[in-house]
Amino acid sequence: MESTHRVRRRIAGAVCAVALVLPLTACDALTPGSAAAVPGPRSVPSSTAVPDDDITLRLQFADAPPMVDALIAAFEKDHPGISVEPQYKTFTDYVQNLKLTMTSDSAPDIAQYAVGMTDLAADGHILDLAPYREAYGWDESIPPVSLDQLTAGQNSEATGGRALFGVPAGLSMTGIYYNKELAERAGIDGPPRTLAEFEDQLAAAKEAGLTPLGVGGLDTGGLHLWAALLNQTMPTDDYWDWVNGTKGATLENKAGTTASELVVEWGRKGYYNESANGTAQLDSTAQFTKGDSVFLVNGNWAAGQLATAMGDNVGFFPMPGERADDPTVASGFSVAYAVSSRTEHPEAAGAFLDFLTSPEAGQIISDNGFLPPNPEAVAKPKGVLADVAEGHRRAVADDGITTFPDFAAPAMLDRLRSGVQKLIADRIEPADYLDSLQDEWEEHHAE
Amino acid sequence: MRSRPPVRPPGAPRRSPWRGYVYVLPAFAVYFAFAVLPALHTAYLSLFEWDGVTLGEWVGLGNYQEILQDAVLRRSVFNALVLVVFFSFVPIVLGLAMTGLLARYRRPGMGAYRFLFMLPQVVPLVAVGVTWRWLYGDDGLVNQTFRAVGLDGVTRAWLGDFGAALIAVGLVGTWVLSGLCMMLFLSGVQKVDPSLYEAARIDGAGPVREFVSVTLPHLRGELAVAMTVTTVAALASFDIVYVTTNGGPGEQTTVPGLLVYRLAFSEGKVGLAAALAVVLGCLILGIVYLINRLSRSET
Amino acid sequence: MSSATRSERWSGYALLTVMAIAVVIPFLSVFLASVQPAGTPVVGLTWPERWSWDNYEQAWSVAAFSDLIRHSIVIAVGVVPASLVLAALAGYALGTMRLPGGNAVAGFFIAGLTIPVELIVVPLYFDLRGLGLTNSFLGVILVEIALFMPFSVFWMRTHFQSTPTSLVEAARIDGASSATILLRILLPLARPSLMTLGLLVFMWSWKQFLLVLVLIQDTTKHTAPAGLGFFVGQNSTDIPTLAAGTIIVMLPILILFVIFQRSFIAGLLQGAMKG
Repeated sequence: MESTHRVRRRIAGAVCAVALVLPLTACDALTPGSAAAVPGPRSVPSSTAVPDDDITLRLQFADAPPMVDALIAAFEKDHPGISVEPQYKTFTDYVQNLKLTMTSDSAPDIAQYAVGMTDLAADGHILDLAPYREAYGWDESIPPVSLDQLTAGQNSEATGGRALFGVPAGLSMTGIYYNKELAERAGIDGPPRTLAEFEDQLAAAKEAGLTPLGVGGLDTGGLHLWAALLNQTMPTDDYWDWVNGTKGATLENKAGTTASELVVEWGRKGYYNESANGTAQLDSTAQFTKGDSVFLVNGNWAAGQLATAMGDNVGFFPMPGERADDPTVASGFSVAYAVSSRTEHPEAAGAFLDFLTSPEAGQIISDNGFLPPNPEAVAKPKGVLADVAEGHRRAVADDGITTFPDFAAPAMLDRLRSGVQKLIADRIEPADYLDSLQDEWEEHHAE
Repeated sequence: MRSRPPVRPPGAPRRSPWRGYVYVLPAFAVYFAFAVLPALHTAYLSLFEWDGVTLGEWVGLGNYQEILQDAVLRRSVFNALVLVVFFSFVPIVLGLAMTGLLARYRRPGMGAYRFLFMLPQVVPLVAVGVTWRWLYGDDGLVNQTFRAVGLDGVTRAWLGDFGAALIAVGLVGTWVLSGLCMMLFLSGVQKVDPSLYEAARIDGAGPVREFVSVTLPHLRGELAVAMTVTTVAALASFDIVYVTTNGGPGEQTTVPGLLVYRLAFSEGKVGLAAALAVVLGCLILGIVYLINRLSRSET
Repeated sequence: MSSATRSERWSGYALLTVMAIAVVIPFLSVFLASVQPAGTPVVGLTWPERWSWDNYEQAWSVAAFSDLIRHSIVIAVGVVPASLVLAALAGYALGTMRLPGGNAVAGFFIAGLTIPVELIVVPLYFDLRGLGLTNSFLGVILVEIALFMPFSVFWMRTHFQSTPTSLVEAARIDGASSATILLRILLPLARPSLMTLGLLVFMWSWKQFLLVLVLIQDTTKHTAPAGLGFFVGQNSTDIPTLAAGTIIVMLPILILFVIFQRSFIAGLLQGAMKG
């Protein structure tokens, strides 16, 4: 009896200790956030040495699982001591949980770069890779411009040059896929040269009794459509200013209104798949392969899947501009990977990132519909993959790759998603929609 | 609350009456540390503007003011109240109707039905949500049924339709909770003295009057319970919405629970999330208190 | 019964059957989808031409539902015994002893019955992270114990209040200590109540979603519902595998429900009534 008493006391004691510690952690610094260590930016060692022990890296990502699997397989073959454990999440889940994930003790060693990484970089939750940039000579293996997208607006404390918070595996862009057989049936003879011509083609498809445009509006498909139109109506510099939070930037102007009105108008004319707002992007892609619509709004990340499923029957073009000689502008970003400050193996992570810049990796990236940072290093793609590569080449040449609009503020993705859903369903005035985006923008960029 | 005679035998050494708290302490400590304290901490956080990382800023009741002004936040509370209709009102009416029809006679074989009706209660709501997400889909059972009866024009992606999404989510709640309400009422009716029904029948009461004058008054306790359980389920709903619509289309199905999660953990507005959580907690507490007050004072 | 008209009796059964079908059809629909060959587009309620159990194998091993189930069990196995022990102790004291302020303390527990997870989850994440208890089963277990504690204490207190006082008094006159009375006399009698409580707590633990979503960020440590919630986003196009995953997540609790249906139903109904 005595011993159970003691055990019980001990349990009670332990519980009380916890009960005491909790309020302490809550109260020792009364203002939330003051207890959290703010380590500031951290960087990696400036050597390329990789230890020989058996190492497991955890990689969390949201785009292109087949590509990531292939990259990992090839990397592990080159580096038998290092194994990489992929953890896939859908884009929505990934972005929604990114901050929680990267600030937790079990943050993955490597994580796909996404909105929110800027804040994480500033607070030191991901590593500054600038020393690797020099040690591995990445400026030679990939065009420096694609690395300069990943500075999070900071200078490197370690090198004094621009900081680097991610290494791109592939570049992405959005655009329009079309089903060649169905297009022919609607009398459409090729990719449109102007936005007006594209509208005529949508009308022709509708006329032919087909669903003109597939949109996966349940998650991100709608915002890709809206952003693609905005890219044509808004000067690229103004758009960048808005996404970057430059003082005085706004969407509440003619460009924003025109793009938003087009989304509404196309909905009124019945151009979208009937259940656009209830269809996830993954599902809209699957439906497109079954021939449910003539066109599909999506990104290059779907190209690999579409090429496999539809072969020569599918083509791709970037959203055309208002005039035929307008520059090609499309939203895109790099599928890049950042390294957590909590990793115990920054050297092994560096080796993985360096592998991404190799020609071997470039080929895998290209085969999966992504645009390798260094296109010269890979074999020329075929079919729809060639269309995507050509579209990207034109956009790059025109300096027309803009980033995605949700990068403007952490809460912007939710505003955009629900806002475009309302546009598609004709449930909101374009002015009110733009106002809600601008409110969110102003709140975030207030200081 | 029954009062008891002291259990100390006369003549035994008098022990401190506080000694009994040794037994209560462990449970109390865990409860306090991991439930009460976090709730208080939420209230405290709600007075700050804090992004979860950097130093917070005291804003007093500013976050509560924002809840009143922000259309999305207000909308979420409104949606939760609409869900109460489907989670609470419909199941209770349905349960009462069934009870009225079934209460007059004892029926053998109820065990199997009871098992089936309670089934939605035990499975995780996430699994329920995933199931219904598919049933409501383009190729789901709901559309299949409409097509089968020739109503092709009605079919749609229910969860992506502005007019239908909230109702569709609400009906999932109806599906989950109707069985519970019905079984609660039926088991309550079992306690009614059968002679009361006999007497009512001798007086020539029809099924409706019998229900109103005999069955209903005996179910007051069960009614209060059913209302409490279902209302809390509606107001605090998260799981079903998260896996079916994630709040869309637009803000048609956005509920406070979803926003608390989103604001705090992906939008970096921890203080606002905490304030919304407090509002939600108070709303639940207030409604539960009201239900219990009413059910007691009517006696 | 003699006065019951035949038609009224049968219409009652007919009504019950209609409702039962409404309850069962969604389950049936998922089950039938889960035995279709993988990757086939399934429409509504379709009888499979060929029964295929491959989807279960796929979900179990490839989609790692075996891990999810294991994690859920680990957490439930941590929560249930601790809840029972703590609730039995507290319920014993609050139900059989005259404690100064005992009613107030009991009331304080009961007030917690309506705490929604949303109200506590935000600071919990930040506080537990400070203690190193995020991404740990222990963190989830402790919070779940606390979350279910109001009901557990209330349930056990009600039970002990209804045990005859004479039993306790007789033992006390024999000089038994309060611990002995609990262990030797009251607990053996409390087995059915503890059993029901254990089942309810297990069920609640199994169903918990939001808490796990926040406290466990490491997807390799997710529980069954959280894993399913993530899985649905990634595999919405492969209905058979998704359906198999859904069934796998429901199955353990369904099996318990079938075996212990009496305790379960009594617990759910009485539990609601007493709460």
